[in-house]
Amino acid sequence: MASIRMLVVDDESEFLEPLLQRLKRRGVECTGATSGEEAVELLKKTDYDVAVVDVKMPGMNGLDLLRWIRREKPATAVILLTGHASVELGIQGMELGAFEYLLKPVDVDELLDVALRASAGLKLP
Amino acid sequence: MAFSTQEDNISQSRNPYLSLRRQMITVLLGFGLIPLVLVGVLGIFTTIREIEERSLNVLNSMLRNRASTVELFLEEKLRLLQVCAESHSALELSSDAMLERMLKEMRRDKGGIVDIGLIDETGRHTAYVGPYALRDKDYSSEQWFRETMVKGRYISDVFLGFRRFPHVSVAVRKQEDGKNFVLRVSIDSDFLTSLVREGAVESNADVFILNKDGVYQTAYSPEQKLMEKAWVGAIPVHSGVRIVEMRKGAKKFYLGSVWLLGDKWVLVAKQEVPGVADILLAYPELPITFGVALVMVPILALYVARLRLRQLRALERRHAELLEAVSHSQKIAAIGRLAAGIAHEINNPLAIIQAQVGVLMDTLEDHPEVPFADDFKARIKKIENQIARASTITHRLLGFSRRVGPQVEPVDLAEALDETLGFVEKEIETSNIKIEKAYEKDLPLVRTSLARVQQVFLNLINNAIDALGGSGGVIRVAVQKSLDGVEVIIEDNGKGIPKSDLPKIFEPFWTTKTGNKEHTGLGLAICADIMRSVGGTIRVESEEGKGTRFTLWFPLESPMV
Repeated sequence: MASIRMLVVDDESEFLEPLLQRLKRRGVECTGATSGEEAVELLKKTDYDVAVVDVKMPGMNGLDLLRWIRREKPATAVILLTGHASVELGIQGMELGAFEYLLKPVDVDELLDVALRASAGLKLP
Repeated sequence: MAFSTQEDNISQSRNPYLSLRRQMITVLLGFGLIPLVLVGVLGIFTTIREIEERSLNVLNSMLRNRASTVELFLEEKLRLLQVCAESHSALELSSDAMLERMLKEMRRDKGGIVDIGLIDETGRHTAYVGPYALRDKDYSSEQWFRETMVKGRYISDVFLGFRRFPHVSVAVRKQEDGKNFVLRVSIDSDFLTSLVREGAVESNADVFILNKDGVYQTAYSPEQKLMEKAWVGAIPVHSGVRIVEMRKGAKKFYLGSVWLLGDKWVLVAKQEVPGVADILLAYPELPITFGVALVMVPILALYVARLRLRQLRALERRHAELLEAVSHSQKIAAIGRLAAGIAHEINNPLAIIQAQVGVLMDTLEDHPEVPFADDFKARIKKIENQIARASTITHRLLGFSRRVGPQVEPVDLAEALDETLGFVEKEIETSNIKIEKAYEKDLPLVRTSLARVQQVFLNLINNAIDALGGSGGVIRVAVQKSLDGVEVIIEDNGKGIPKSDLPKIFEPFWTTKTGNKEHTGLGLAICADIMRSVGGTIRVESEEGKGTRFTLWFPLESPMV
């Protein structure tokens, strides 16, 4: 399995921690952040192939983070992950340049599949 | 399912309309009847006045006319007599042949002259030509003879005289060689009457001549009695024509009079004034028109009030139903938002459970030596299945909330129909209804609004469930290619729709579901509207007692924006 560097951003550590563990078990080099601000700090220091971002977070929310990444780190693909399924939000996210919009709860293998496609897609010329 | 009737709706809202109805009818009647009565009364009075004026004019001219005719006739006789007396000697006048010639001459133009005679100053009738045996009669004590001897010329009142027959004496005095003679003719009173009566024919009045004492000089009707006192009494002398209004019992009449022959006689005409009843009888078109209008106005008022009220009621009912429909759709939207919020709140904990359980699963995979690992894995699998089940529900709820916007997207109609059937799963189960599906394979996707299409499916399925009436039955759903699109059939074997109702079922607010307040009668109207908006069609076939089949057709590409 191709190694990808992934950043997972979610304010709920009870969700974040097991997800990271499961991803690592599947050979993904992944880091977690519990807020948008923390994610920005990490992104400034390190390059990631894919960022999985929760939309609804206190402080800097998923869409703000998405905008920042598209501007500052365009090489990083963004997958929006949310429990709140709304067409408007989805359309807005896709327009801002998200690779995909996924609804919680999501199967870890499905997430991994999308992440791989995202990093591969973006690496294409 | 009882059929609602309009009467029910009306009876519920009858009371507030009653007073409105009364007011409308009162106003309409007022506006109709007041001018009608005014015009009618005014018309009758104007007519009466005109008729009165006209009859006054007729009376006036008739009186002048008759007076001059009578006067001319008598004065002409007097003048002729005078000419005869002056142009002949007493001797000549004593010969019957001469008198006969004179009589002939005087009778020439009009007649009425009965006889002619010469009387000497002692009153002896010396010569006479006429039908009566009057020669040698002594007139010395007759009033007319003495008057003539004094005045030289004289016209008497009507009297009987020796002949015992009513007549008028016209006489002149002749003086010859210091001796006096009287030449006289007598005029039949009937002739005088006939002169007067001509006027009666002309004006439709009672016409007669009275002397100064109010005694009849002419008579042609039972009311008039020759030579007797008239009921009007003596009429005071006046000049010209005088008309007075008099009353005799209930009858009003005009009494016109004109004095003639130097205030000797008075010509009188009595004409009845027509009363309202007489005029109405004489001009029947007046009361008939008025009566017809009088009948028509209330009928029209009632009709207009009824029509207006019906329109008002329909409008109000429509208004109420629209309000209800609006609040209903607002309720639906609110439920949708609530459902979305709940789904979101549940999705997050579900995601956590799934992640945590996932770690357990991973661990067990990595360490198969853990005691009861297989048992744990089986149980964890069950937990994951339940998580999947719960997330199906929340996703469906979110799908429901999505139905706000009409986005066009590729829709698999069979899948959409299944999803819609899922919404009413519980109801179908409890109603003991069997669902039969006949989906064609490899159906093309249809670009349309999923939310709207599902709304149509939901409405039709709900109707089918209602039609089966809780006693079980079959709902058959089919999806198949048709023309350049896809056809969806939803059919039940329920009670069906009466033939007479079929043309009305797509009309808004038409409903047979009276008991349930949730039914606005909009369901099928919304279906028809949605099918129009997505460029499709909706068709219904139904037979009472056998069932109902709705056929929907969707174009591959909906023209909707």
